[in-house]
Amino acid sequence: MAQTRRDFLKMTAALSAASFVGVQLPLQEQQLAHAKDAEAWHRGTCRLCGVGCRLELGMKDGVPFALRGVADARTNYGFLCMKGMHFWQCLGHKERLKKPLYRAKKSDPFKEISWDKALDIAASQFADAVKKNGPNSVAYYGSGQCLTEETYLFQKIMRGGLQTNNVDGNPRLCMASAVGGYLGSFGADEPIGSYADLEKAHCFFIIGSNTAEAHPVLFRRIMRRKLDNPEVKVINADPRVSQTSRIADKHLQFKPGTDLSLLNAMANVIIEEKLHDQAFLTNYVAFKQGKEGQDASFEEYAKFVAPYTPEAAAKTCGGKITAEDIRQVARWFATSKGTMSLWCMGINQRKQGVWANNLIHNLHILTGQLLKEGADSFSLTGQPNACGGVREAGGLCHILPGHRPVEKEKMRNQVEEAWGVPLGRIPAEPGMHTMSMFTGINEGKIKAIWINCTSPAQSLPNCNLYNKGLATDDCFTICTDIFKTRTTEFANLILPAAFHFEKTGVYGCTERRQQLTRKAVKAPGEAKPEVWIAREWAKRLAAKLNDPVIAQCIKPFEGLEEDFALPQAIWDEYTQKLTKGRDNDLRGVSYAVLARMADGVQWPAPTEEFALTGGTAKKFVKGIDPMADSESKNDLPYQFYGPAHEDRKLWIWLRPQADPSEIPDAEYPFYLSTGRIIDHWHTMSMTGRIPELLRANPHAFVEINPKDAEKLGIKPGDMIEITSRRGTNVLPAKVYEGPIEGTVFAYWHDQEANRMINKVTKDDYDPSAKEPEFKICAVKIKRISGPKPLTPFIVS
Amino acid sequence: MKRRSFLKLLAVLPTTALTAGLHEVQAGLFRSPVRTNHLRPPGAVAEEVFVGKCIRCGRCVESCPYHCIDLLDIRHGVHAGTPLIAVADIPCYLCMRCVEVCPTGTLQPVAQEATRMGTAVINKFTCGAWLGLALCRTCYDACPFKEKAIVLRELMPIVIREACTGCGLCTHACPITAPDQTKAINIEPPTKGAAA
Repeated sequence: MAQTRRDFLKMTAALSAASFVGVQLPLQEQQLAHAKDAEAWHRGTCRLCGVGCRLELGMKDGVPFALRGVADARTNYGFLCMKGMHFWQCLGHKERLKKPLYRAKKSDPFKEISWDKALDIAASQFADAVKKNGPNSVAYYGSGQCLTEETYLFQKIMRGGLQTNNVDGNPRLCMASAVGGYLGSFGADEPIGSYADLEKAHCFFIIGSNTAEAHPVLFRRIMRRKLDNPEVKVINADPRVSQTSRIADKHLQFKPGTDLSLLNAMANVIIEEKLHDQAFLTNYVAFKQGKEGQDASFEEYAKFVAPYTPEAAAKTCGGKITAEDIRQVARWFATSKGTMSLWCMGINQRKQGVWANNLIHNLHILTGQLLKEGADSFSLTGQPNACGGVREAGGLCHILPGHRPVEKEKMRNQVEEAWGVPLGRIPAEPGMHTMSMFTGINEGKIKAIWINCTSPAQSLPNCNLYNKGLATDDCFTICTDIFKTRTTEFANLILPAAFHFEKTGVYGCTERRQQLTRKAVKAPGEAKPEVWIAREWAKRLAAKLNDPVIAQCIKPFEGLEEDFALPQAIWDEYTQKLTKGRDNDLRGVSYAVLARMADGVQWPAPTEEFALTGGTAKKFVKGIDPMADSESKNDLPYQFYGPAHEDRKLWIWLRPQADPSEIPDAEYPFYLSTGRIIDHWHTMSMTGRIPELLRANPHAFVEINPKDAEKLGIKPGDMIEITSRRGTNVLPAKVYEGPIEGTVFAYWHDQEANRMINKVTKDDYDPSAKEPEFKICAVKIKRISGPKPLTPFIVS
Repeated sequence: MKRRSFLKLLAVLPTTALTAGLHEVQAGLFRSPVRTNHLRPPGAVAEEVFVGKCIRCGRCVESCPYHCIDLLDIRHGVHAGTPLIAVADIPCYLCMRCVEVCPTGTLQPVAQEATRMGTAVINKFTCGAWLGLALCRTCYDACPFKEKAIVLRELMPIVIREACTGCGLCTHACPITAPDQTKAINIEPPTKGAAA
C-alpha cells in the first residue's frame, strides 16, 4: 500500500471532521466526504411542520448537502425528524420546475414560455375576469407554507387592488376551528403560552393529536418530561391507540365524534367535586350560550353539564371508557400544578370543530389552568406559517392583517389608510372561504384562481367533486409551485417558485414565534420568489385595468431587489403600519432584530428593545407581556385585551354534544379517519421525491383493528377496497391494534389515483369556522385480493 | 486499470492459488451464500440440507409477485440455481406464495408470523435514533408486526427476537446506509442447523 504520511494525516483529519460534523448527517459515504469540506452553515427554520425547528443548511461550493439541528435552539434543542433532515434535497432537485409553463386549454400539453409572457397572461386573465364578471369572479388560494411576506402581498393586491376578499388558504382546512375556538373563548387568536410550558407541565391532556407522528420533535420534549418525572400524568384521548398513547398513563379510547360528551363530563366532575377555581371564575370569567352568545351564569353552566354524568358519557363514548376513568382524568386535570392541553386535527377537522375547541378551553378556564407556569390550552399548528402568515397577515377571507375582522368598517379603514388606498376600497363582505371557493369553481362563478404553494386537488375533502370544476376550461388556473403536483395537472399556467433557503422571509410557528430564513442558494433555472411574481403581476394588472390604485398597492415595493430588500420592505410595511396596537404587535421585530435573534421573537413585541429579549412567552400576564401592562384597565394580574371580547373576560361556552355529519349505518358500517405519517409531508410533492423518505413509506395504507380484520377475513398486506358515498380507494391493510373496533384509519399523503384517501372523505364543514370534517365519515370495506406489489407514484 | 497494476495482478493470482491451495477454491464452491441481508425464502429447511433438497426448479422465483427472490448463478458453485433474497434491495413481503409452490418441501408450509428467515439486528453505532441524531423510527413503522417484533423504548427501536420473521422490510426501509453498504438495521441469518 503506497500511502504517504501526508495521505494518512489527511484521511485522519477528514475522518475526525466527518465524525464531528457528520453526526448531523444521514450516514452516507458521499455526504460524509463532503462534510469535511463544509464551507458554510446557513441559519433558518424547517420548511415542514408547525413546530418551527431551527436548523442549519450546510453548503459546499454553493451546493447544499445537509441539514442539521442546532443544539441551543429553543424549539427543538437540536433534534430534527427524518423529513426535516432531508428536505435539502428539494433544493436543486432535478424535477424542479424551472420555466413558466402554459397551455390555453387544459387538454393541451404544456409549453415553456418566458416570464414576461407568463405574467402578461396571468394579468390579462384576471383583468378580463374582473371586467366581465366583477371582482368576485377571481380568487387567491394560498398556503400556510408561504412566507408571511408572500401572503401579505397577495392579499393586499387582491383586496386593495382587485377589490375582492376572495383570499383564503389551506389553513382553512386545518386551523380555522382553532381560530374560532380561541376567539370565542379567549377573545384573541393563538395560544397564550409557549413550548417552554412543556417542561413545566405536571399533566398533559393530549386529545385529537398524534403528536408523535405529526409533531415528533415536540413529542420528544413531552416524552422527556414524562420520563424524567414519572409523577407527571399524560392523558391521551383518541379513538385510535397511536404512538402518542404509548407514554400515556391513561388512554381514553372513544367512538369517533363523542368527545364533546367526554369533555362536558370532565367539566361535570370538576364542578361536582368542587375542583374549579372560584377566584379565577369571579375575576376573569363570563358564561355564554347559544349562537349569539347570550349571557349565562355559573349555575346555568353547572345545570347544563349536569346530565353529562361520567356514567352517561362513558355510555355515549362507547367501548373502552369507564365512568371511573373520566373521574380520574378530570381530577388529574384539575388538581395538577400545571395542566397543558394539546390538540390538533382530531379536534379541528370536525363539523363541531369550534365547539370542541371551546370545550377544551372551558376546562382550563374552569380550573384556572391557564397563565401560570406549565398550564395552557395549546393548539398545535400543522403548517410552518399558518399562524404567522395566514392567521396574522390576512390570509383568510374574513380577516385583514393584524387580526382585523373584515366586516368592521373601522378595521377596514385602518388598513386602507395604511395602504394609501381610497377609503371603502376593501369590500365589506367577507370573501369566499375555501369550500365555497371551490364550489364556486364547480358552479362557474370563479373565472380565474391563483393557487399558491398548495395542492387542493389532493388535499380537499371529497376531492373528486371539486376536481371536476378545476378540470374544466371555465376557470383559468394559475399554480405557483416548486414541483408538479396533482393540482398542476389542472393548471393553465404553472409558475416556478423559489424554495425555502432560495428566498428570504419570515415563518411564524405555533407559539407566536417569528423566525427569519435568508436566501442561501440560487433558485434553479428561472424560478422566482413569489413576492417578485406578485409584484410584477400587479404591475401588469394596473396597466390592463387602468387602475392607479393597484399601482399604489405595490408602489412602496417598486424597483426593490427581490432577494432581500423586497421582502424586507413588505415585512416593514406589515409590521410597522398594521400591527400597531393589535394583539400581534410586531413593531419591534424588524429584519435586523430577527437577524440578531437566532431563535426569533414571540409577539407581542411592541419595541425593538423588548423584542431583543425574545418577546412574550405568555400573553395577558402583567410583567411578562408588555401589552398586558400597556392595556391594563385594573389592578388584576391578568389582562385579557384580545380584540374579540369587549368585556375583557374569558368566556365559558355551554356547548352540547353534537354528532358528526355522517354516522356509520348498515350500508357503510365503518368510521374512517385520516392522518399524517411521520416521514411524509402533506401531499408528498416534496418528501416523495426524497429517496430515503419514499423508501421508508412508498405508499399509503389503511390500519384496521385485528377484530374487524378477522370478521372480514383480512390478513396483513391484503388489498382492501374502501368505499364511501363519494369515492373509492384501494389500499393495502395493516392489521394493527390501533383504531378502535369499527374504525379504519388511512394516511393521506399518497398521490396515486387509487390511494388518494380524500376521494373518500366528507366535505361537510363547521358552520362557523367553515373547516371541513376530514376526520370522520362512514365507509364500507371489502377485501379484494391478497398482497400485491405496489409502486410508488409521484406526479411528473 | 494501469498496466502496472495489471501486471501486478497477474503475478499475484498464481501465487495466491499456489499458497492458498485447492482447499480455498473448493471451500468457495461450497460456501453458503447465506449471510447478512442475504437470506433463504420463508419456510426454508436448515441451510446444511438446503442445497441437497432444492432441485433448482425456480418456481419460487417465478411465483414471487415482488420479484424479491433471486436465482443464484454459476459463481455460487453448488448453490447455483438455489433461491436467495437480498432484503436490502427487495425485502420479503411474506405473501407466502413461494412456500405454496415449492414441489420438494425445501420451503415448508409456515404461517406468516412463524417465519424465521433471520433476525433483525440494530447497529446502535450507525442508527440515527440510537445516536440521537434524528427522531427516526422508520424500521418500527415498516415492520409488519409492529409492537410485536419491533418496539419503541424512549423513541429508540428495539427488536424482539422471538417475534422477528427476518422479512427485511425494516432493512429495506432504513434511510441510513453505512460506507460498507450495510444498513443501520440488518437481518442476520438463522444460526446453524435451524430451519428458516
